[in-house]
Amino acid sequence: MATIEQTPSTTPPEPEGTQGLPAPTPHFGGEEPGHGQGTGITNGKLAMWLFLASDCLFFGAFIAAYLLYRGRHLNGLTPRDVFNIPFTSATSFILLMSSLTMVLALAAIQRGDYRRLKIWLMATALFGATFISGQVYEFTEFSRRGLKVDTNLFGSTFFVLTGFHGAHVTLGIIWLLSLWGLAAQGRLTQRDAERVEIAGLYWHFVDIVWIVIFTVVYLVPQPGK
Amino acid sequence: MTTVSDALTVPTGRRISLLRRPKSSTGFWSWFTTVDHKKIALLYTGTALVFFVLGGIEALLIRLQLAQANGTVLTAAQYNQLFTMHGTTMVFLLGMPLAVAFGNYLIPLMIGARDVAFPRLNMFGYWAFLFGGCFLYSSFFLGGAPNGGWFGYTPLTSSPITSGILPGRGPDFWTVGLIMLGIGSTSSAINFIVTVINMRAPGMTLMRMPVFVWMMLVVAFLTLFAIPIVTVALIMVYADRNFATTFFLPGKGGDPLLYQHLFWLFGHPEVYILILPGMGIVSEVLPVFSRKPLFGYAVVVFSGIAIGFLGWGVWAHHMFATGLGPVAISAFGLSTMLIAIPTGVKIFNWLGTVWKGSVRLTTAMLFCLGFIAQFTIGGLSGVLHSVVPADTQQTDTYFVVAHFHYVLFGGLVFAVFGGFYYWFPKVYGRYMDERLGKLNFWTMVVGFNLTFFPMHLLGLWGQPRRTYRYDSGLGWEGLNVVATVGAFIIALSVLIFIVNVLVSRFRGAPAPDDAWDGRTLEWSIPSPPPEYNFAEIPDVEARDDFWHRKYTEDEEGRLLPLPSGGSDAAEVTTHDGAHDPSHGGHGIHMPSPSYFPAIVALGLPIIGYGAVFKTFWVLVPGAVVVLFGIYAWFIEPATASD
Amino acid sequence: MATTETPGTELERAAAQVPAHATEPAPGLLPGEVRPHPSPFKYVMIAVILVVVTAVEVATSYLEGDIPDGLIVTLLLGMAIIKFSLVVAWYMHLKTDLPIFRRFFILGLVAAITLYAAVIGSLHGFGN
Repeated sequence: MATIEQTPSTTPPEPEGTQGLPAPTPHFGGEEPGHGQGTGITNGKLAMWLFLASDCLFFGAFIAAYLLYRGRHLNGLTPRDVFNIPFTSATSFILLMSSLTMVLALAAIQRGDYRRLKIWLMATALFGATFISGQVYEFTEFSRRGLKVDTNLFGSTFFVLTGFHGAHVTLGIIWLLSLWGLAAQGRLTQRDAERVEIAGLYWHFVDIVWIVIFTVVYLVPQPGK
Repeated sequence: MTTVSDALTVPTGRRISLLRRPKSSTGFWSWFTTVDHKKIALLYTGTALVFFVLGGIEALLIRLQLAQANGTVLTAAQYNQLFTMHGTTMVFLLGMPLAVAFGNYLIPLMIGARDVAFPRLNMFGYWAFLFGGCFLYSSFFLGGAPNGGWFGYTPLTSSPITSGILPGRGPDFWTVGLIMLGIGSTSSAINFIVTVINMRAPGMTLMRMPVFVWMMLVVAFLTLFAIPIVTVALIMVYADRNFATTFFLPGKGGDPLLYQHLFWLFGHPEVYILILPGMGIVSEVLPVFSRKPLFGYAVVVFSGIAIGFLGWGVWAHHMFATGLGPVAISAFGLSTMLIAIPTGVKIFNWLGTVWKGSVRLTTAMLFCLGFIAQFTIGGLSGVLHSVVPADTQQTDTYFVVAHFHYVLFGGLVFAVFGGFYYWFPKVYGRYMDERLGKLNFWTMVVGFNLTFFPMHLLGLWGQPRRTYRYDSGLGWEGLNVVATVGAFIIALSVLIFIVNVLVSRFRGAPAPDDAWDGRTLEWSIPSPPPEYNFAEIPDVEARDDFWHRKYTEDEEGRLLPLPSGGSDAAEVTTHDGAHDPSHGGHGIHMPSPSYFPAIVALGLPIIGYGAVFKTFWVLVPGAVVVLFGIYAWFIEPATASD
Repeated sequence: MATTETPGTELERAAAQVPAHATEPAPGLLPGEVRPHPSPFKYVMIAVILVVVTAVEVATSYLEGDIPDGLIVTLLLGMAIIKFSLVVAWYMHLKTDLPIFRRFFILGLVAAITLYAAVIGSLHGFGN
């Protein structure tokens, strides 16, 4: 049920800058830092940090399970059998670079450079997609060689942990592409910089989770068997 | 006015909106699309009370089964579903939602705000609760309800469906349903934290906030950090059961105890999530009906924070009988004893509040006094559990059942009823009937204690939990009958309450805005409050600011009413109108109603059913619904600009 | 209902910030900052450091067998912490933002590490 409303051209532009743009949040509280007893920070950014704090416990539990069960599998393939460190190093490098492009996108919108904003946003999404392709390749390769999620403890803990990480990255890619779409339509302006920042916080978080996973799952000396 | 962004704006005048923005302010659709925290609170309350009744019926069936030895009212399979759903309902569909309900209604009012930080997210939380609860209960009709206990221990619940050990989809409804509910809870937690941190009125420093708001802040943090842990545990159970992963499979090296650790890492903070709002309510009600400020405000606040921290360090006291080893059980036994300290401190502060106060024994006050007595009893049995050798005997017996019902029912539920009687006049502008209220209270006291006190004895005599029948000749029948009778008296009491609500809603005595000569800001605005809460955001100058505008004290400490003090909102000092975008009460822009919270939430049960029945293609339309809803939500401005 | 006459709306504050040269951050602080955020040049420098540390990490992992496992683990964890901290401090702006963000994040992080270490310890992880 889409409606397109035409306002008469004699009407002055609506003050909240609707004109198809997302309006600033209403004036009833913490959206205007400095009023009341608030902290001078905006609600959206605070909310994202809280969510990320919560997500630490989410990933922490899966990482803890992986660490607990390291070396305890009774049969089946082991990390030594399947890990391809050079390959994973390459995909990790790509994800790391995506963090750089993400923060460059933020810097671009903060100074009103919309052309670079779009370039860096798309670059981030593409790097992310490359990382995911790498993950998909890795998963299918392991599976082909006989390591599946139900094979043994290593398979279960590995696939579920990295799978949820990959899901987080994928959601992030969708988010970034959406932002790119808004920017392409001219609907993402300098005053919306915080929206990019919030997306960036999420993206960087996903990257640092991978920093931990890469070290703790792939690089540390594998148990004997 | 020109802005940097003008060059890239869409041509003037074109506005695209998917779905006409809802506008109604009365009627069904106004409730369906509301983003007003007060309406949302009432939705949470009404829905939670429905689940309370359902959980109560489950309890009554359990009690009927156990009223005699070798009972034949229920089969073992039915019994398992009933006690599982009773616990799951009371914890997740009553306790937590009621905390969110009270928090939703009161936090903005108590801190001088017009709404919460994210009104649409607030409504989304409600839908997630409603859909999650209905999803859980639909299991009764779709192959059997969850039957692994409200705590769902592995390896029973994680046994693969194909193994036939725990057939049916009950455990999957349980894992998926709880994950769904957790999403809603987490969103509410984030909302409350941001609201309390960012949206307090000028002058409302943290140490001037009502204790209830402090308790909700602690609860929100507990929720934020505990829910992800149980989410992981539930995902692992679901994966073990449906994808043959090996997280809890001993035959492949997995450890079922990992589940217990993860579950109780969540589960213990969870019980503080349940009780702290009740403690907050009591901390508000007692001072008003004692006409004295809360004794030791700072201590009560810091005790609450201490409980929030210490509550993370006691979880393995639920696992004393699992072979953790002497070091672990000593450590956890000690930490459990330690947490009794801040809890006990609060009791003394409440007693100190009432002591030498000018006490009015209204129904609300009675319920809160009942809280103190019964919660103390529950706390005493709790601290007995902290003694590890004693707990080894008590665990898995009815002694534990007695303990947690004393703290959660005798404690939390009593506080909640007190809160209902106390704030009903604010919500509806009418008092609840005091005679019915006192009848409600006394029947509940009698019924509750008759039901649960005998369980202390039954537990020590050996009656085990979660067992559908017991043999004759053990001497347990007598007290079980007493407990069953008590349970029906509780049911009667709840009925009286419902009658009271209905009668008072339409024919209750009209209440002034300041119904009880209250202390906190919510009593300074009209009853029922207008949509925007405060015509002008107040300037807060002290704790219990509203009280201090009404009264001062003479040299002997006696209260002196101030001239023209009271609930006349115009007398409450407001901050400079030039900075107040509400322009002194005119043209206040409140966030507009929206369909999209409901739409996004609708995707959750769709995904849920796909996951339970393993028809995974269903996840696609579910995800599409969620994504569409999210996109539309973000494109839609928070406030409609007409 | 015009509300833009009131001073200090987000719109006007954002408009007041004149876009500056690409290698310098915009003058004036954005909401939530206590120091100016880093320049793009700095971001690239951090990226270079991240790449170098990653390369060293991968190289270290290949030293398995030549040096004790405990040492490798210590080195790897140390490097992971460095990378983690760099991204969090500079890319996520914790260094230049209000302390409250830092506190919440660290709270979640410390909670996660402590609790899970306790769980692993209780379940005879860490080799005992």
